[in-house]
Parts: sequence; structure tokens; C-alpha cells
Amino acid sequence: MMQRNILIPAHRLLRRNRLVQIGLLGAFWAAGEALARATGLPLPGGIIGMALALVLFLAGGLKVASMKRGANWMLAEMLLFFVPAVLALLDHRELFGMLGLKIFALIIVSTTAVMCVTALTVDLCYRWTERHDARRAVA
Amino acid sequence: MTLAALWREPLVQAAVWSLATILLYLLAKRVHLRWPRWWLMPLAVAPALLMIAALALNVSYRDYIRGTHWLVALLGPATVAFAVPIYEQRALIRRRWPLLLAGMIAGSLTAVATSWALAYLLGIDGELRLSLLPRSMSTPFAMEVSGEIGGIPDLTAVFVVLTGIIGAAVGDIVLARLPLRSTLAKGALFGVGAHGAGTARAHQIGREEGAIAGLVMVLVGLMNVALAPLIIQFMK
Repeated sequence: MMQRNILIPAHRLLRRNRLVQIGLLGAFWAAGEALARATGLPLPGGIIGMALALVLFLAGGLKVASMKRGANWMLAEMLLFFVPAVLALLDHRELFGMLGLKIFALIIVSTTAVMCVTALTVDLCYRWTERHDARRAVA
Repeated sequence: MTLAALWREPLVQAAVWSLATILLYLLAKRVHLRWPRWWLMPLAVAPALLMIAALALNVSYRDYIRGTHWLVALLGPATVAFAVPIYEQRALIRRRWPLLLAGMIAGSLTAVATSWALAYLLGIDGELRLSLLPRSMSTPFAMEVSGEIGGIPDLTAVFVVLTGIIGAAVGDIVLARLPLRSTLAKGALFGVGAHGAGTARAHQIGREEGAIAGLVMVLVGLMNVALAPLIIQFMK
């Protein structure tokens, strides 16, 4: 009885408080890092942590609601976490000249090609399966 | 203590640069909301302003990142956060995974082939060309592949970040031009083409797009690490 009385407010806090939920995301990440180190897998801790969370969601051990607010906030502000990494350019002054321009052009053209090919492949396959499904439904 | 000595204090440096990074990001976000031009995107404006400040104050990257590394580290928990949208879209993913797989394979092959060919055309060769190949995946994966195929992992990390920034902007333009019907294609485009930064952008466009982009980003990374030995064969 006593234990239940403590657990209920803790549960409520997890459902409502964004900061607590972000802490939970951090815990999954830390667990992923520890697992990566223990097993020697060449995977980032965040990805192992994500897999752990997904398995728990699917197995019913953890409700999505206890992570949703924190996750939404993290995903919305994710671009901020990339900002400091861009300053690594400061250490590569050789990229500020002609070579940098070439690489810039390469990245633009290549990325455009990758995006067009990926999107068109998926979309054409999508239209094909849709038509296929429709025909099967009629037959 | 004089002001100059106080400025040299590592904790003060960390606080000042962290605060500057966050404030400039928020400011850039406001500006982009008001004038939504691709060249005003926060991921381009905020780092550019910070770089000007760092150059003006003669602060090296090492000094800057020592104080702001905790922000980059938050990418770990942010990756975990993708479990939520992926779980919510599980029905769609279960039904449509073959389409996503086809897009991922086509996209990854295009990334390696166009990077190699363009580098050849532009006269970029050796380690630099190899470092440019594994660009369309998130940094940890890219660095792993780069080392394996004989590139310079550090340089690859810079190219990956640049691809993310450029890709987030290019993605918007591609999205406006291509007559795409499915949200699957819109999400996959960002996930394969511009990994983390693109996924963050896709998440701003829509929940379904964000979930697909997140899933595809993770899977493309895994796929490329597994396929790195094949890429080496392709180059011989």
C-alpha cells in the first residue's frame, strides 16, 4: 500500500513533466552507450537506446505517453545540437578556398541527385503497389 | 580578478559560448520564421555568425567545442526520441517497408556513385575523394565507413555536417519541384539525402515524414556500415 502511494505520484510526474521525460531519454541513451561498450558493437549508443525503447513500446513494458512530450521537444529543437559541430570548419581552413567551392558544388549536386532518385523510387513503387492493390480489390 | 583573467576561465568560456550558441540559434529560428528563405535557415545562419565571432575573438575550434560539446552530446538522447514517431507509424512502416528498402538502396548507390564521379570530374582525388564518399548517413556511421575505405574520418565528419545543412535546404527545393504523392517518399528523401539535419527538417514538415526520415536515416547508416566492404570492391 505504502509503495503504491509513492508510485502513483511518480507515475503522474513521468506522464506530465517534459524535463523528467528528457531525463528518461538520456537514461536510454546511457544504457545504449554502456551496451555498445560492453559488447564492442560499432553502433552509436543513441541508436541502441532507440532500439531498446522501441522493443519496450512493442512489448508493452513502457507507454509511449511517458516519453512523448520530451521526445517531441527534443525532435523539434534537434537542429540546435548540430550547430556546434559545424564550427569544425574552423580547423579546416584549406576548405575556405577554391577546393571548398568545388566540394560545396559536389555536395549540392550529389545530394540533389540522391534525393530525387530516392523520392522517385519510393513514389513510383508506391503508385505501382497502389494500382496493384486497386486491381486486386476489383478482381 | 581582472576581466581578461575571468574571460580565460574555462567555465566562463563554456557558459559564454553555450549561451551564445543557444541565443543565436533561437534568434536565427525567429528570423527564419519571419522570412522563410532557404539561405536564412538556422543551421546556416547560427554557425556562420558564431564562426565570425570565433574568428574575431581568435578562439579556436578546440576552445569553442570544449564548452559546447554538451549540446552535441544531446544528439544521443535526441536519437532515442525517434522511437516515439517510429512506434506511432508502425502500421504504415510494416505495410510499406519494401518501398523504403528500394529507396534506401537506390539512394545510397546514387550517393556513392555521384560523389565518386563528381570528385573525378573536379580533380579531387586520393584520401579526399574517399572521405567524400560516405556522406549521406549520420556521423558515427560515416566515420566508421570512411576509416574502413581509406578516407580521413575527421574530414568526413565535416562533410557529413555540410551535407546535412545543404541537404535540409535542397530537400525543400526538391520537394517543391517533384510531383510526389506519398509521405513515404517525402520522408525517405530527407532521411537518405540529409540524415540528421534533414530528419529534423522532415519532422518540422510533418509527423509522418519525420518518422519515416528517422527510420530511414538509422537503417541507411546500418546498411552502409554493412556494405562498406562492397564499396571497396567497387572502387578497385
